[in-house]
Amino acid sequence: MTFDEWLRVDRLPHIYCAGCGNGTVINCTLSAVDQMGWKKEEIVFVSGIGCSSRAPGYIVTDSLHTTHGRAIAFATGIKMANPDLKVVVFTGDGDLAAIGGNHFIHGCRRNIDLTVICMNNMIYGMTGGQGSPTTPRGALSTTTPYGSSEAAFDLCGLAAAAGANYVARYTSYHVKELTLAIRTGLGNPGFSFIEALVQCPTNYGRRNKLRQVSDQIEYFKSHAILAQKAERMREEGKKIPDDMIIIGELARRNRPALGVRK
Amino acid sequence: MRLVIDESRCKGCNLCTLVCPYRIFRPGTKANPRGVIVPELDRPERCANCRLQRLYGRTICGMCQMICPDQAISWEEEGPCEPMKVAIEY
Amino acid sequence: MQGNTACAEGALAAGCRFFGGYPITPSTEIAEHMAAKLPKVGGVFIQMEDEIAGIASVIGASWTGARAMTATSGPGFSLMMENIGFAVMTETPCVVVNIQRGGPSTGQPTMAAQGDMLQCRFGSHGDYSIIALSPASVQEMYDLTAEAFNLADRFRIPVFVMADEIIGHMRERLMIPDSVHRGERKLLGKGNLPYQADDDLVPGFPVFGKGYGVHVTGLTHDERGYPCATSPSVHECLVKRLVDKVESARDSIASCDIVNPDARVVFISYGAPSRAVEQVLHDIHNDNVGHLRLKLVWPFAESLLSRFSNAETFIVPELNMGQMAREIKRHTNRRVIPVPKLGGALHDPFDLAALVEELL
Repeated sequence: MTFDEWLRVDRLPHIYCAGCGNGTVINCTLSAVDQMGWKKEEIVFVSGIGCSSRAPGYIVTDSLHTTHGRAIAFATGIKMANPDLKVVVFTGDGDLAAIGGNHFIHGCRRNIDLTVICMNNMIYGMTGGQGSPTTPRGALSTTTPYGSSEAAFDLCGLAAAAGANYVARYTSYHVKELTLAIRTGLGNPGFSFIEALVQCPTNYGRRNKLRQVSDQIEYFKSHAILAQKAERMREEGKKIPDDMIIIGELARRNRPALGVRK
Repeated sequence: MRLVIDESRCKGCNLCTLVCPYRIFRPGTKANPRGVIVPELDRPERCANCRLQRLYGRTICGMCQMICPDQAISWEEEGPCEPMKVAIEY
Repeated sequence: MQGNTACAEGALAAGCRFFGGYPITPSTEIAEHMAAKLPKVGGVFIQMEDEIAGIASVIGASWTGARAMTATSGPGFSLMMENIGFAVMTETPCVVVNIQRGGPSTGQPTMAAQGDMLQCRFGSHGDYSIIALSPASVQEMYDLTAEAFNLADRFRIPVFVMADEIIGHMRERLMIPDSVHRGERKLLGKGNLPYQADDDLVPGFPVFGKGYGVHVTGLTHDERGYPCATSPSVHECLVKRLVDKVESARDSIASCDIVNPDARVVFISYGAPSRAVEQVLHDIHNDNVGHLRLKLVWPFAESLLSRFSNAETFIVPELNMGQMAREIKRHTNRRVIPVPKLGGALHDPFDLAALVEELL
């Protein structure tokens, strides 16, 4: 499989900055979708607004690029009206957790059969680098010039608590694991939420001393800890430093799903 | 097979250089006509996919292609050439 | 049957198979009736978490080819505005029923008003044009809701059924026809670009799931559907087409009732106040008093005003501070007298009759 058969090659090169993690997550998603063996006619990509949400415009399938934060609501309508379509939602951290927070928790509660891939770059990239609900405490952005004074959201924790069937988190460095997680989510009925931490060298990295593309990737590499390992460390009483990122499959349930043909 | 970087797509981020387990890339030196400094192939003979894709019938490794945000990396068939001596270092 | 129930029945007869909404007084009965009836005809009802999600789910469902609607009132209508703009920009057919209530803000949840007439036309940001229908009886709630779906599919825009709490909650007899005329959505021909308009300025509809591979976006897009947000000519072309496709047809889709076209004093009304006007005409028996009852309010067809060649005065009774009177005034040099009535009670026919006597 080549990526080119899934991409609108007449629109490449795309608008993403050099080294943007979103491009990587698109690769992982297309690879996972291809491995599922789905036909292009039965797939619909839905997205909100932001860098992450420009992705469907480059993919050859039907796609809906909606208003800020409402991607899950639109996707719910598509899935309920035609359960035979496979609906994948691309969204970003601000799109999902800020303005789209309500739709996110209700999507999880309803357990609607969607796969939501959140490209979390911890900033509002497209509009120039404003703080987002997942910007870590103390990080700089254009709207938090003195360091963010708010705690960051744990998107996966939120999804798991609200009732999603499958929750996983990986970074854009862990491409193989991310592809596998997306593929599991695509095949899992019910709300599958995959959070992909991605690097944003242009807006996040530049303001937070991670200017080079490799800096943020190195950060992900060194600060990622698998959920099972974190669990073992907790049982042994060892302290996990605060800035470690817990990755892996964080929740897997079999709650009844909405929008699946019986 | 031969690894090819599509210069019309590459934006010079060098993520491929960073993640390759066999370290076949090195950062480029000259800017191309688009102004991008494309990474160069330092040791292409060490690329596992170049050597083994035909044998196994599927992509081996492929980390660079997966991580490239611009989908600029692909492999193409290459004509027969003289066998080269390869020394594997760890 | 209750007006709201008739509205839901009209939608079902027209083939509506998706309802996504949020309950709000006084339109809740529509949602409740759809919740009971839609699963029986193979449709889908979903109560979303807020009105914004409600209209979003309707737009999503419409793209799978289903006829989709939602029902709301003032506060929900204001919430829906951003996504209504999205429906206009992406040319998505859908029907939004607004059972208007006293506003602004929470206002009078259980009293009638017509305060959203300008909002349905201009509520979302940017320039665009929509169609709004105004039923004045339970029969019209059935008929006009069914017609709304046909207009939505024909023009690929959101169509508004602007009723009010009086019409929504009243009970009257109605005739249910054996079948309702159903206009089909024009599908996109193979080989055509997704947003390439035909002669009627409306492009064919590329349904999801049939291999069209269409990218639908709220950004300014060219005929391929690809975003071209920085091109002045593409944007100008697109917005002008969105406005013209409705405005150019305003005379052909105009729908109204005309009584005494040679009259000197003419009432122009729509919705519930029309009933008071009909009572006045019945009481006065004077050929010099006429009535223009608009069933299709937006796009406003000013040619209807010229049908009243002898009219010297237009009286416009409304349950608002003169929203449509403002539009009428701009199209005529003749005297326009707005008769606003706020608070939820209908105009008193005696007051209107006294006004007419004064003018004659």
